[in-house]
Amino acid sequence: MNDGLTPARGHRLYWSIQWRRNDGLGALFLVLAAFAVIYAILFPGILGVGALAKFVQGWFPTAMVAAAETIVMLTGGIDLSVGPMVSLGSVVAASTMQGPMGILGGLLAVLALGGCVGAVTGSFVAIGRYPAIIVTLALSFVLRGVALLLLPRPGGFVPPSLSEFLAGSHPTAAVLLILFVILWKVYQATPLGIGLVAVGDNAEGAYRSGVGVATARLCAYILSGVLVSFTGLYVAAQTGSGDPVIGEPMTLAAIAAAVLGGVGFLGGQGAMRGALAGSLLMSILINVMFFMDLPLVAQYVVQGLIIVCTVSLPLLRSSWRRAL
Amino acid sequence: MRDRQAILGARNVSKAFFGNEALRDVSIELIPGRIHALLGENGAGKSTLINLLSGTLTSDRGEILIDGNAVALKPRDARRLGVAVVQQELSLAPHLSIAENIGLGALPRRWGLVDYGRLAALAEEIGGQLGIVEPADTPVGRLPLGRRQLVEIAKALSIKPRVLIFDEPTSSLAAPDVAKLMGLVRRLRDRGVAILYISHRLNEIIDFCDYVTVLKDGAVTADRPLAGLDPSGLVRLMVGRDPQNLFPQYATQRTDDLVLEARNFRSGAAAGVDVRLHRGEILGIGGLVGHGQEDFMLGLYGAAPAKADQFWARARGGSVRTAPFAHVSEANAAGVAYVPADRRKEGLLLPHSIDFNLLLPFFARHGTERRRNAEEERITEALARRLNIRGDRRRPVQALSGGNQQKVAVSKWLPLEPSVLLLNDPTRGVDVETKREIYVALRRMAAEGKAVILLSTDTPELVHLCDRVMVFQKGRVAATLAHVEASEEAIVAAAMGVGSAQTRQ
Repeated sequence: MNDGLTPARGHRLYWSIQWRRNDGLGALFLVLAAFAVIYAILFPGILGVGALAKFVQGWFPTAMVAAAETIVMLTGGIDLSVGPMVSLGSVVAASTMQGPMGILGGLLAVLALGGCVGAVTGSFVAIGRYPAIIVTLALSFVLRGVALLLLPRPGGFVPPSLSEFLAGSHPTAAVLLILFVILWKVYQATPLGIGLVAVGDNAEGAYRSGVGVATARLCAYILSGVLVSFTGLYVAAQTGSGDPVIGEPMTLAAIAAAVLGGVGFLGGQGAMRGALAGSLLMSILINVMFFMDLPLVAQYVVQGLIIVCTVSLPLLRSSWRRAL
Repeated sequence: MRDRQAILGARNVSKAFFGNEALRDVSIELIPGRIHALLGENGAGKSTLINLLSGTLTSDRGEILIDGNAVALKPRDARRLGVAVVQQELSLAPHLSIAENIGLGALPRRWGLVDYGRLAALAEEIGGQLGIVEPADTPVGRLPLGRRQLVEIAKALSIKPRVLIFDEPTSSLAAPDVAKLMGLVRRLRDRGVAILYISHRLNEIIDFCDYVTVLKDGAVTADRPLAGLDPSGLVRLMVGRDPQNLFPQYATQRTDDLVLEARNFRSGAAAGVDVRLHRGEILGIGGLVGHGQEDFMLGLYGAAPAKADQFWARARGGSVRTAPFAHVSEANAAGVAYVPADRRKEGLLLPHSIDFNLLLPFFARHGTERRRNAEEERITEALARRLNIRGDRRRPVQALSGGNQQKVAVSKWLPLEPSVLLLNDPTRGVDVETKREIYVALRRMAAEGKAVILLSTDTPELVHLCDRVMVFQKGRVAATLAHVEASEEAIVAAAMGVGSAQTRQ
């Protein structure tokens, strides 16, 4: 082994592995770029710093729940409790920040909530070997109920300073997003992070190779839980209050964005960048349709159609290639 | 062979799955600097033994020893103690790169992060020894099977093992890679690694291994140095033991009345099979698992796409068909029925009653008519009597033992009066008593003029039950043996490509 060369070789290997994860995402990136251009042409105002910051704030919650869903789906699981968890996160944030510890206390309470719920789900799935779809479906009812018990109707208190910091004129959301991407990259460069993909890819093989299968899954659920409950806090800051049902549409949005981003239901397949791109595409779509005054119902139809088209593009291309 | 202490061993281990004993009182010792062959037919217990040695399973009785000490192993501990397994069913993650797969489970680390520099060096070093020329960043899923096998081997070598277990490492390797692997394994042996080598290629074992342990039906039948054994000697050791008085007296019911003929029949891994089938005949199909036998059956049944240069089948009612069946329904309509090997997944609806399962093919024929209880009752009653299915037939099928489930899976086809019955390993995991009942039933079907194709991994069945046996190797028929020629030795020899002229037609 030549020690002088090793770091350089390591960098090359790392970045080429990372680059190859773009395989199959080309179509999505193209569609995304096309829509971004259309959006910028329709609404040139978006190109200002302030408008861009606002746009990222609108995208941020979808991006976070899509990321959380991706982490779980990479291990071969699925999380159907994302939406209710966002609601509960917002409720807990809005009802703890009046307390003696203020904003910091609220933040800790929300993160602890996400970590604990993730640990419980993860234990059922990773150690008890229950199917994730059933555990998280059941959990979604529990979380929904708890949120409504804590705060039957929208209310609570979020300090205006926090709202201003997270969802005001600062580009905080963009910074948080970049921070998340860096942390995720670091996690993916640890044995645990690689184990996460290996477990979803071939659980039996990973076990035989000495990967801690249960640990990798458990960590994935905890991580995902923390991300989702923090999204709840963010949403509370955006609206200035806690709302026990605000997260409802986010479960399906998270799954849709992940699938749009090439994350597979069987585990192991996909990359975080795909899920983020998927959520960004959906965000742009919603904005475009909102400004075009399309009725809400028509927006759902268009969203569904775009998802089906983008997901089927690679399939169409590969079957076309086979036919040649 | 100096007498050195075994690095890894098993002492009197036994293991049962759902009441079926897979291993009985097996002992084995892996000594440094020795290449140890493990031989046995399909289902003899080789995989179970490997899984015990590598910590994937725990034994019911007996102990696993490392350096003479009894240990309770998990795969992670086994790897840490230097036991590496090259799995036949690969343990690779298709979406990770070659380098990450090689290091998986023991990735080199620096400050908690994977040290990609050392990983690259490791992949290069080991990949170079094995001739892995693909860049280390290639996702493993992009590689063809043979190349993936090399990555699996590289992964085992990456932990610098003291014990290396190979489970059929060469089954999907190309010849130059095999030679390279052999050289490498010899070098490892000379460095004092203990090696356990499982292969169905007897010639490979003869010129490669030092010592052999033979398993038969879960028990050790030989444990000796390999010196002085030739391939036919090895086959005798594997086949061993007389078959018990399990089979009905052989008496052929074969006629000269052709029901099915195909030339150069191709389906999946079956790459060109000539077959002729007569009324009243039981045609056996043997060979090692995965040499195209199952694809051949599925192709005949129309469950997998199939082609043939010539095809001729006499359907029910005397009409003739000259192309392979394109759908299962066509095959059924022509009187061809198939009993799958995996009865729990493919053959039965487990939560439904015995009656309901027995009636399924009958329902398929009767579309949307009103059900007639009396007729259904008559059919199920007759079937139950015929195959001796006892007890309340309203019980769900999953409440039955494996043997009785199989009887339901076979007998449900009988009301269709099939003229050709395709059976895929009907006695797998079935107790002896039920085996005998199934054999008697098969003979009776032949006597009624049905033609039976019996795919079996249990060689004695092929010997004692079949009028002719076709032995598959690499998708083709390596030998067709008449009943008098079909000994266990001849079948195993043909399946392993040990050519002895008189067994070929």
